[in-house]
Amino acid sequence: MIQLKTVSKKFNNEMAIQDVSLTIQKGDIYGLIGPSGAGKSTLLRMMNLLERPTTGDVFIEGKSLTNLSNAKLREARKSIGMIFQQFNLVANKSVYKNIEIALELANFPKSERKARVEECLKFVGLEAMQHKYPAQLSGGQKQRVAIARAIANNPTILLCDEPTSSLDPSTTNEILSVLQSINQTFGVTIIIVSHEMDVIKSICTRVSVLSEGQLYETVDIMPLGIHTIEAHPQSFVDALRMGGE
Amino acid sequence: MPDVLIQYQAEIVQAILETFIMVGASIVAAVLVGLPVGTLLFLCQKGKVLENKLVHTVLNLLVNIIRSFPFLLLVVFLIPFTRLLVGTAIGTTAAIVPLAIIAIAHYSRLVEQSLLDVPKGVIEAAISMGASVNAIIFKFLYVEARSGLVLGLTTSTISFISYSTIMGVVGGGGIGDFAIRYGYQQFRTDLMMYMIIIMILLVQLIQIIGMTVARKIDKR
Ligand SMILES: Nc1ncnc2c1ncn2[C@@H]1O[C@H](COP(=O)(O)OP(=O)(O)O)[C@@H](O)[C@H]1O
Ligand SMILES: [Mg+2]
Repeated sequence: MIQLKTVSKKFNNEMAIQDVSLTIQKGDIYGLIGPSGAGKSTLLRMMNLLERPTTGDVFIEGKSLTNLSNAKLREARKSIGMIFQQFNLVANKSVYKNIEIALELANFPKSERKARVEECLKFVGLEAMQHKYPAQLSGGQKQRVAIARAIANNPTILLCDEPTSSLDPSTTNEILSVLQSINQTFGVTIIIVSHEMDVIKSICTRVSVLSEGQLYETVDIMPLGIHTIEAHPQSFVDALRMGGE
Repeated sequence: MPDVLIQYQAEIVQAILETFIMVGASIVAAVLVGLPVGTLLFLCQKGKVLENKLVHTVLNLLVNIIRSFPFLLLVVFLIPFTRLLVGTAIGTTAAIVPLAIIAIAHYSRLVEQSLLDVPKGVIEAAISMGASVNAIIFKFLYVEARSGLVLGLTTSTISFISYSTIMGVVGGGGIGDFAIRYGYQQFRTDLMMYMIIIMILLVQLIQIIGMTVARKIDKR
């Protein structure tokens, strides 16, 4: 369970986040949506303290993150995976090494690393690519590697910052089904930030709408399912009506 | 081989050796001290993992001051310090002191610049995986910036060769000193030309090696 308690974030003199409180239940696929600049990324990044709230506190499983020592915070981060819009893979490491580094940082037993890396690669469908370098992969493949890296250490939480925003629609669907299956197979709590309504509607079970740094509303939804994004023309119409991209 | 080269062979070999010692020592100083200093310069910048305005300002100022000296003046200015450190201000060993200092300042700046080219997102990914500052440096920054670091060291090394040529003023010797002594002071233009050719070949060789290595290790 993740809890944000009246968190605010001030950059220079501007409030990027203002008194936001929210609770994310274990096993949720939680969406954060809102226009660009609303503060979605900032809010997400508070959940592993990439961004430290100016005021307020962040709790994971009831434990405050902001009071942790540096070493304890690093420990806590090892069970919170994160993926990004730009993938952020290490370009000079092979696919295999990109995933292995997560295990190395987590002091995963050396003798079991190879098997675990291969298991993760298999899960994202890239077992044949382990010797390639990120530059040799498509966007969708890079995001799969990033996902494999993020789940390698068996996290309980996966933070996703615009995970599909630089991908085309069919690749977007593939990535969303990988995320959904991570949630269903391993029970990982997933938080997805997106400005695309389609993405949020397809797999999220609960969604918060952010606007100008404030929580506008939180709603429970029935995920529409991933296939409908492309298959059902109505979803385009809905998306257009929503003013989403 | 031309007769003059054979005639002066012993002195030329000696001069080349001295250049190698001076440049080699500069490279060692650049890597052992310049690399950490450059890394610290980078990490102490605003918004970076070791953000520290005081440390950054002090290091930045030091590097700038050292680099803004005309090198000949730096050598002269450092004579008391050199004497304190190695007991004499004359000779190849003494020449290493100012060379090492300029080498550190030179390379640390290039290191800082190379590290700035590492995408911010990669560092964020490292932090999100629970990487310590050490792990960020050695397992992410240096891996991602390695071809820039090699190219920087190549550029620096070529500058070190140039700096080493004036070390004759403190009896440091080297190819440059040989060329000036014979070419300028004794009007042996032929000898000077040969020394210049050796320098050009040396610089070419270093540049080619640097470029080849940098290209080989760059998977971006
Ligand atoms: N590191 C930063 N420094 C200064 N301002 C920032 C920083 N990060 C975000 N902001 C500002 O905070 C606001 C929210 O940004 P962000 O969380 O990235 O929005 P979103 O992800 O919803 O597009 C924006 O106005 C942005 O300019
Ligand atoms: Mg964002």
